[in-house]
Amino acid sequence: MDLFGLIYKFFGTVFPFEWAQSAFVIRALLGIIFLTLLCGAMGIMVVNFRMAFFSDTISHSAFTGVALGLLLGINPWMTLAIFAVIVGLGIIRVKRHTELSTDTVTGVFFSTVIAIGIAIISLRKGLNRDLQSYLFGDILTINEMELTAMIALFILGIIFIWLTYNKLLLIGLHEDLAFSKGMNTPLYQYIFAGLLAVVVAFGIRAVGLLLVTALLILPAASARNMARSAGSLFWWSMILALVSGIAGLASSLLWDVATGASVILAASLFFLISSMLRVIRTN
Amino acid sequence: MGPSIYIRNLTVRVDGRAILDNVSTEIPSGFVTAIIGPNGAGKTTMLKVILNQIDYAGEVSFKGSDGSRIIPKFGYVPQTLDFDRGLPMTALDFLLLPLQKGPLWWGRKGRFVEIAFESLKLVEASHLAGRQIGKLSGGELQRILLASALSSKPNLLLLDEPVSGVDIAGERLFCDLLDSIRMRENFTMVIVSHDLSLVSNHADRVICLNQMLVCHGTTDEMLTPANLQAVFGHHSDAIRSQHILRKDFKNASER
Repeated sequence: MDLFGLIYKFFGTVFPFEWAQSAFVIRALLGIIFLTLLCGAMGIMVVNFRMAFFSDTISHSAFTGVALGLLLGINPWMTLAIFAVIVGLGIIRVKRHTELSTDTVTGVFFSTVIAIGIAIISLRKGLNRDLQSYLFGDILTINEMELTAMIALFILGIIFIWLTYNKLLLIGLHEDLAFSKGMNTPLYQYIFAGLLAVVVAFGIRAVGLLLVTALLILPAASARNMARSAGSLFWWSMILALVSGIAGLASSLLWDVATGASVILAASLFFLISSMLRVIRTN
Repeated sequence: MGPSIYIRNLTVRVDGRAILDNVSTEIPSGFVTAIIGPNGAGKTTMLKVILNQIDYAGEVSFKGSDGSRIIPKFGYVPQTLDFDRGLPMTALDFLLLPLQKGPLWWGRKGRFVEIAFESLKLVEASHLAGRQIGKLSGGELQRILLASALSSKPNLLLLDEPVSGVDIAGERLFCDLLDSIRMRENFTMVIVSHDLSLVSNHADRVICLNQMLVCHGTTDEMLTPANLQAVFGHHSDAIRSQHILRKDFKNASER
């Protein structure tokens, strides 16, 4: 029996419920666990670097990446990830070599990649129907190969965050100060942007390109409301992302709502609660 | 003992425009040297050149007491931190960021915490260790930034407008701390400032910039009306008045 066969058997035995007997639900559950944990960790830095718009641009560039894949007859997930990384690194490169503000540079990339995507779609009729699944995502259809890739990305992401957490926080606070401490600040930013682009690509698989930024931002923003130190910020973000993911998946299965939307709604609810708790604590 | 800095024919251009133009000067070992000049004079650019953060033409070298070239150990105090005040980070966390290799979410390591507390003690800020950095006043935050610079045991301390957002009481405390720390540590110190009161009270030497080198030498010799006119132009009277007023205020408060 292969590894996934053992995992399905394990879930079926340990959890005596109907859902645990379905392989696709187990795959979706594992996928959402690894993805939300990774987004919880990476999201801290997205908020720290004020990169919400950057993340949005990456996710919308996926639209063009998919359109390119469909047009050229290549696996759209591959073109999506490659295009996302190119756009992510391109933004950082241009930002570092111009006097323009980050918002302006990101805005230029955002509108350009969307325009390219629309132009490609207009070239080939019927392409827009294929694109709908990328808009909303669907973690319930994740296959074993995609799940394996997601677990590999999770391991890579956690190793990266382990090695760079303190450094990235300091770079976000003051890049020159971090540089004076001997940190190669451009290198860290390029690696982070490249990795984030791949995480966004995987996030699109789960919640769609319209909502993937929320998956990064909401748990990290809620964690800021709850945490009192740089260390606890990480754990709050991970826990809130994970609970949002599992609660969203469960409610999606219960009430037959789109998984992406229910995950983000759960995360939004946590943000609301954390904001209220912060107000109470401050007063 | 901190290094001496030798700057020869330094030129920095951005988009073809010279920010610094053929500047040659020296920053001697163990002294406090202030870089002064109006906005856009290239003061912060010179600091970035010393920190090797930007491309430049010319030569910048660091020499030890025996005249041999050395790589300095930098301590850098920025003007301020531009951050979201809601960030959950204590002053102790902030000091640990560059010190501790393992992530803070895996716990604070004892020996680095000790180093951080030693630095906090140097700037008389041990009581701020558990405070959120977003809740600190301008003066308190500058002391934490100074503690962070000192935690790496530097031999060259660079400060960029260190008291620009600090009230007069905070400024005095900060400057007194700097003086007492320098007495003990004996490093080379470079301060970028437009505050002539701070410069005349605490700097041994001055480099006057206005894209080009206007003058350099001891503070007493260089802060003359003629040099101030050459550096600050039409604003020199206002700057001198402000300097005299602040000095009078300081003398009055000391009495």
